[in-house]
Order: sequence, then structure tokens, then C-alpha cells
Amino acid sequence: MNSSDKILFTSSTKNLSLLRDFIEAKAIAFGFDDSTINQIVLSVDEACTNIIKHAHKYDEKEMIEVETKPEKGQFKIIMKYKGNGFNPNDIHNPDMKDYFNDFKVGGLGVPIMKKFMSKIEFVHMNSDYNYLTLTKSLQS
Amino acid sequence: MEEFSIDIKHHENITILNLNGFLDAHTSVELETCFEEIISKENYRIIVNFEKLSYISSAGLGVFMAFIEAARDNAGDIKLCAMSDKIYNIFDMLGFPILFEIYKEQKSAIEKFS
Repeated sequence: MNSSDKILFTSSTKNLSLLRDFIEAKAIAFGFDDSTINQIVLSVDEACTNIIKHAHKYDEKEMIEVETKPEKGQFKIIMKYKGNGFNPNDIHNPDMKDYFNDFKVGGLGVPIMKKFMSKIEFVHMNSDYNYLTLTKSLQS
Repeated sequence: MEEFSIDIKHHENITILNLNGFLDAHTSVELETCFEEIISKENYRIIVNFEKLSYISSAGLGVFMAFIEAARDNAGDIKLCAMSDKIYNIFDMLGFPILFEIYKEQKSAIEKFS
């Protein structure tokens, strides 16, 4: 690839469109179809929105680093951030029938990531850094 | 492309929100404020037209969930229309058609309010 595979931005929702443009360009270069590109872009948006909201509590002094790594038949997106990280795999998908019956709001970011991505990995490296990796396989 | 804007029209006693641009965690605040104003004026018959919306994330979906109960409790509704396949697929994947009426054309949504 001829451009950087890494983007660093302040933890603010106003940067989400910049992030989406970056991920879309990398996913196109990897060779995904339009539908899969949309799924990947949305999943990364949801992941970073959760980081901005829950880990950084909208503190724009915090930063998020997002790196894309094309591997054999797999496209990985690694989000590196400080703060109180959480593992999306620990969050159970809501029962959507109850969700709609109770007119619930929010909590759909993780179900979207789980639905659209092939694998989600979370590592709390040390007291400072969390790594959240979303992987999309070409076949899935 | 324009980040996000809402063009508000009225058809008889129906408020029609034409969404433009993208709806994410940043821009959904504007839509939320718009709904608050409409509901506070006791306008409960609302159509949202997605024709010019290019993108939606769960933050955007949350806005419709936040106001649908108030609309229906007051004999109104929030009806959705004119979505691209890309946007409809997000609503559909999460099961939103269980709760929301989604029409291909605005005309059909208007007729359902009649």
C-alpha cells in the first residue's frame, strides 16, 4: 500500500468520519466487496464510538490509534487506546424482542461488531494500553 | 459532502424530516434535538425520509428508539421511508422492522397516516 496504514486521532466523535474514510480506503485496497466494506466501516465506527464514550468519557485529550494489517485472507483493524478498556466478547447480545418491547436505547454497537466481523480480540496490555482487534476474513 | 442536515417539511399535520449526509455519534445529537423540538410542540405524526442519507451507525438508530414511544403514546408514529439498501440492511439486521414501519416511498408513509 502506498499510504500509511495507521491513523492517530483525538478521542472525539467529530473524527469518526475521518476514521471511516481511512478504513474504507484500506478495505477497498484489500479487495472486499461494497457490502463487506460497509460492514467493516460500521464495525470500526461502533468500536471507536464505544472507546470515545466509555473508555475516554468524551475527553478530547485522549487519543486513539487505529492500524490496519492485511494478512493472508484476513484484514485486521487494531485499535490502541488508554483508559478503562472493555472486552466486547464479555457483552451478551440483547434479546431484540425484549429490546423493542421495552423501547430500549443504545447498546447495539457490540452486537453490530459481532454480527459483521469474523473475530474480535481484546487485550489489556498493561495499566496504560488496551488493544482491540477486529478481524474480517475474505470468506466470511 | 455535507456532514449532516435536516430539511423539515410539513404535509397537512405530518412533520417530514428529510435527512442529508451521515448520521453517526457526532451528528445524531442534531437529530435528537430536532425530535425533542417536534415532540415538545406536540407533533407526533412524523415521517423520516432517508433518501439523501448516506450512512447510519447505532447512534442514529438510538434516536428513533428514544422517541417512538412518545409518538405512539400520543396517537402518532415515526414512519421511515426511502432508505438505500445499504441503510435498510442495518435496520433489518437488527430487527427494526419489528417495531418500525419502513416504506420504500414517502407517498406510502403519508397514506398510512391518513
